[in-house]
Amino acid sequence: MMKSKAYAVLKDNLWTNNPIFIQILGICSTLAVTNNLSNTMIMTLGVTFATALSSLTLSAMKGLIPRKVRMIIQVVVMSFYVILLDILLRAYLPDVSRQLGPYVGLIITNCILMGRAEAFAQANKPLLSFWDGLTSGLGYMSVLMAIAVVRELLGFGTLFGIRVMPEAFVTWTIMIMAPSAFFLVAMVMWWAKTLQARRVAAAATTVASKEAKK
Amino acid sequence: MTPLINPVTLFFASIFTSNILLSNFLGMCSFISISKDWKSSFGLGMAVTVVMTITTAISWIILYFIITPLGLEYLSFIVFIVVIAAVVQILEMVIDRASPALYMSLGIFLPLITVNCAILGAILFMQIRSYGFMQSVAFGAGSGAGWWLAIMLLAAIRERTEKNPVPAGLKGPGITMITIGFMAMAFIGFSGMIAVQ
Amino acid sequence: MKKDSMLYVVIFTFAVCAAFVVVLAVANEVTKPMVEANKLFATRSAVLGALGIPYANAADASARYDAQVKELAGAVGKAWTSSIDGVEYIAVEAAGPGLWGTIRVILAASPDGERVRGIRVVAQNETPGLGGRIEEPWFLGQFEGERAPGGRVAVKAGAEASGKADADKENGRVDGISGATRTSQSFEAIVNAGLAALKAGGVR
Repeated sequence: MMKSKAYAVLKDNLWTNNPIFIQILGICSTLAVTNNLSNTMIMTLGVTFATALSSLTLSAMKGLIPRKVRMIIQVVVMSFYVILLDILLRAYLPDVSRQLGPYVGLIITNCILMGRAEAFAQANKPLLSFWDGLTSGLGYMSVLMAIAVVRELLGFGTLFGIRVMPEAFVTWTIMIMAPSAFFLVAMVMWWAKTLQARRVAAAATTVASKEAKK
Repeated sequence: MTPLINPVTLFFASIFTSNILLSNFLGMCSFISISKDWKSSFGLGMAVTVVMTITTAISWIILYFIITPLGLEYLSFIVFIVVIAAVVQILEMVIDRASPALYMSLGIFLPLITVNCAILGAILFMQIRSYGFMQSVAFGAGSGAGWWLAIMLLAAIRERTEKNPVPAGLKGPGITMITIGFMAMAFIGFSGMIAVQ
Repeated sequence: MKKDSMLYVVIFTFAVCAAFVVVLAVANEVTKPMVEANKLFATRSAVLGALGIPYANAADASARYDAQVKELAGAVGKAWTSSIDGVEYIAVEAAGPGLWGTIRVILAASPDGERVRGIRVVAQNETPGLGGRIEEPWFLGQFEGERAPGGRVAVKAGAEASGKADADKENGRVDGISGATRTSQSFEAIVNAGLAALKAGGVR
C-alpha cells in the first residue's frame, strides 16, 4: 500500500502536477540561474534538500502547531534549513557559495517549499511528506536542467563549462538573458499540456469505445 | 559604503529602470496567477507595496541596531522572513477590522504575500547595497510600486488578449509567460538609465 | 493547555524559534574557523593571483605569500608589494558598486600605474552567467600585462563588446562581457579608480 502511494506521489510531482509547468511555482529562480548548468544543478539540489527536510519536519510537528502561527512556524522551519545549507556551503564549498550569492537566501521564498508544506505536509505522514518534498524537487530539477541545457548550449556554446559547439558558432545572447527563460518555460508548458490532453482524450475514447461495444 | 543616491531618484528608479519584477525577476508566482483578474491585481499590488515599504524599514532598523552590533549576521534570513510574516499577519488583522469588504476581496492573497520573493528580495538588496534608512524606505516603496505597476500592466494585457485564438496547450500560464517575456525585453531597454547605487 | 490559547501559541512559537536558532548558532560556531580560513585563503590567493605568483594549493599559497609578499599600510585600504623580476609591483584593494552589489577586486600594477600586472575578483554579487563572468580567466587574463596609458584602461561595453578576449596588450583596451554592459562599465570604473589610488602613492 505504501509503495503504490509513493509511486503515485512520484508520478504526480514529476509529471501530472509538476511544480513548474502545472502548478506554476518556483518561477523566480528558474529565470535567474538557468543560463548555466552547474549553477542550476546546485540551486535545484538546494531546493530539493530544503523542501524534503522542511516537509518532513513540518509533518512531524503538525499536531503541535497552533493555527494562528502556522505560517510563521512554516517559514522559520524553511529558513532554518536554508541557512544551514548556506552555512555548510560557506564552510565546505566556498566557491559554490560565492557563485550562488543572494540566490541561496531566496530559496526560502521559493513557492515550492511553502506550496508543499501547505498542500501536503499538513495532512500527511512525515516519511511520505519527505518523499513528496524530494520528488517535487526532482520535478523542479528536471525542468530547470532541461531549460539550462538549451540556454547554456545556445548562449555560451558549452555544457557544464565544457565547450560543445564549434568555435564558429555565433552565440545567441538572448539565451543568456532572462527573457529567454520565459519563452522556454512556455514551450515546456505547451509540450506537456498538449501531451497530457492527448492522453486524457485517448483514455476517454478507449472508455467510450468499450461502452459502445457492450 | 552607503551609496550617494537621492531617495526620491531611487524611488523612481526602482519603479521604472530597475523594476524588481521585470528587471530582477522577483515576485513571479503570484504575479502569474493573480494577473488574470484586474481587480485582484489592483488589491494585491497595493498590499504588496504597503508590506514592502513597512518591512524594508523595520528590517533596516533591526539589521543595523540589533543584528550587526551583536554579530548575528547568520540569522538575518530568519529574522527578515519572520518580520515579513508578522507584518502580513498584523496587516491582515488591521484590514479585517477597518474594511471587511476589502478583506473579503483580498481573501487568500494576503498570506500569499509572505512568500512573495520580491519582498525578501528587496530586503536582501537593501542589505547588499548598504542603503541608508531613507534610501531603504524609498527603495521599498518604489519596488512595491514597480511590482504594482507590472501586475496592472499584465492584467490589462491579459484582459485584452483573452478572446484571442491561443493554441490549447498555451492557454493560461503558457501565453502569459510569453507575454511577460516580451515585457521583460522591453524593460531591458530602460536598464542603466538611472544608477541605483 | 488548549492548542489555540494565547499562552500556548506564544510559548510554542518561542520554543520552536529558540530550538532552531540554537542549532544554527552551534553550526555557525563549529564552522567559523573553516569559514575564516576560507576567507583568508581567498584574500591571499587573490593577492598572489593578481601579482602573478603561481601556487599549487592552500598550503603552498600560504608559504609563498609569507615568503614573497610584503604587506603595506596603504593610505586607502590594504596594499601589498612584491618584488618580481626586479620590479616592485604593488597590489591594492579596489571596490565599487556593480549591478547587484559591491564588486571588490585586488589589482596589481607597476608602481607608476602604467602597466597592469593582474586582477582578481574577491567579492561580487553580479548576475550569474552574465556579470558574474568578470571572474572568468578569459576576461581577467586580458588585464594581465595590459598597458594603461595615462593610468586608465578602457573596457569595451555594449555593442562594442565581442565577448572574446582582446589580445592586444598595448592598446589599453579590453573587451567587456556581451549582455553585461552595466557590470562591464562598473568594472572599468573600479579598475581605473584602483589604478589612480595606486599611482597616487599612498603606500609607504
